[in-house]
Amino acid sequence: MTYSLQFGQIMRDIPYILGGAWPTLWLTFVIFFAAAALGLFIALVRLRGGPVTSRLAGLWVTLTTNSPLFVILFFLFNGLPNCGILLSPIAATLIAFIAISSGYLAEIQRGGIQSVRQSELDAAETLGMSRWQTVRHVIARHVIKTVSPALSNFFIFTMLGTSMASLVGVNELTGRAIEVTSRTFRSIEVFSIVAIAYVVLSLAASMALALVGRMLFRVRMRVV
Amino acid sequence: MAHLEITALGACYGKVAVLDDVSLSVERGELVGIVGPSGSGKSTLLRALVGLVPPTAGTVVLDGHAVDYANALSLRAMRDQTAIVFQQYNFFQNMNVLENLTVAPVKIRGRNRSETEKEARALLARVGLADKEKAYPDELSGGQQQRVAIARALVLKPAVVLLDEVTAALDPELVRDVMDVVQDLARDGITMLLVSHEMGFIREAAHRVVMMDAGRVVEVGPPAQIFGDAQQERTRAFMSRIIRH
Repeated sequence: MTYSLQFGQIMRDIPYILGGAWPTLWLTFVIFFAAAALGLFIALVRLRGGPVTSRLAGLWVTLTTNSPLFVILFFLFNGLPNCGILLSPIAATLIAFIAISSGYLAEIQRGGIQSVRQSELDAAETLGMSRWQTVRHVIARHVIKTVSPALSNFFIFTMLGTSMASLVGVNELTGRAIEVTSRTFRSIEVFSIVAIAYVVLSLAASMALALVGRMLFRVRMRVV
Repeated sequence: MAHLEITALGACYGKVAVLDDVSLSVERGELVGIVGPSGSGKSTLLRALVGLVPPTAGTVVLDGHAVDYANALSLRAMRDQTAIVFQQYNFFQNMNVLENLTVAPVKIRGRNRSETEKEARALLARVGLADKEKAYPDELSGGQQQRVAIARALVLKPAVVLLDEVTAALDPELVRDVMDVVQDLARDGITMLLVSHEMGFIREAAHRVVMMDAGRVVEVGPPAQIFGDAQQERTRAFMSRIIRH
């Protein structure tokens, strides 16, 4: 059996497929920043909360980091309608991704917060910094610098992971590829282009994140 | 009136008493060396003075004003006049040397940035590190870091400087660089409390020496007394061991 590549058949669809990069990007940004904010809250509750709230935060981390994203996504999109809760594909995607990512991001940020040295806190205190000033000038900068590489990786991981949203009908990069394939049956051509698009997006995001980290937070990360 | 009057100061780590009935009177411009075995409470005394270890008993009067360690304003007023230099430098690792020097005066005390930077550069020149303002702490040697730490303390224009084993983490050849800076400050008339194991330096530079053991002051006197004619048996035993080694 032979398969001859015929990119000519999908030429007209290429702009449409590549247009899916925008939903991929905005989904990534919304998921990442919402999950990072939720993760920071969970990390702080775990570190500074009372015995009960701290355990609840720990339980959330355990549940989310041990649940398959795909199962959660299908549960929300296909299971909840049986209980009368109907979520749009975008809503189900956002909830599933933010919930799962928040557990991982909580742990990354908890590690960063715990890496702040007591000596730096002592210095801040004796220099007369208030608690808020210490957070702003010492802890936040230290944590961002420490967790930047892990957060950058997680950003890329999230961007590639959004392809899963196509399975509940979100029309992002992969969703559009599936749609065009079902019309043209040129799956190798279509997914080759999509694969290249993901690689270009990932490399661009990696470089941008490394540059931001290097310029703002003196993070030693390779740009290329 | 003494510049710093410490009376019956006590402090605990948890339930363990680490300072017990410590009293000391320090005159303005005096350099007081604090010596004693490890765990005798020397560093804790300095940390208690700036409130990092809250005192549980006694009083501290700085420049005629009693410090209330439970009162944030009183504590802040005390810290405005006092700078502490730590053994491990305690730099903000994500800031360069100049930022480490200026963050507190500019961001916390609201001083003019360009003037503060000018003063900071002058202090860096004074400690022999004028070319290191853009360097980050981890790019400096131990001796350089300690001299920057002293400059950071001085940029706050403190009336009292507390030096906590500032040479303990340094190679012997770097100790002299730091000690030269300390001696230079002493000539400027800054009141200083210096915790150190550099007995030679304390003997040479300190106006008075405090011998501590088990959280208590054992003996206070001029260097000639403490090092050569100690009145207390504990001081004599400590000094004889130091000299023997």
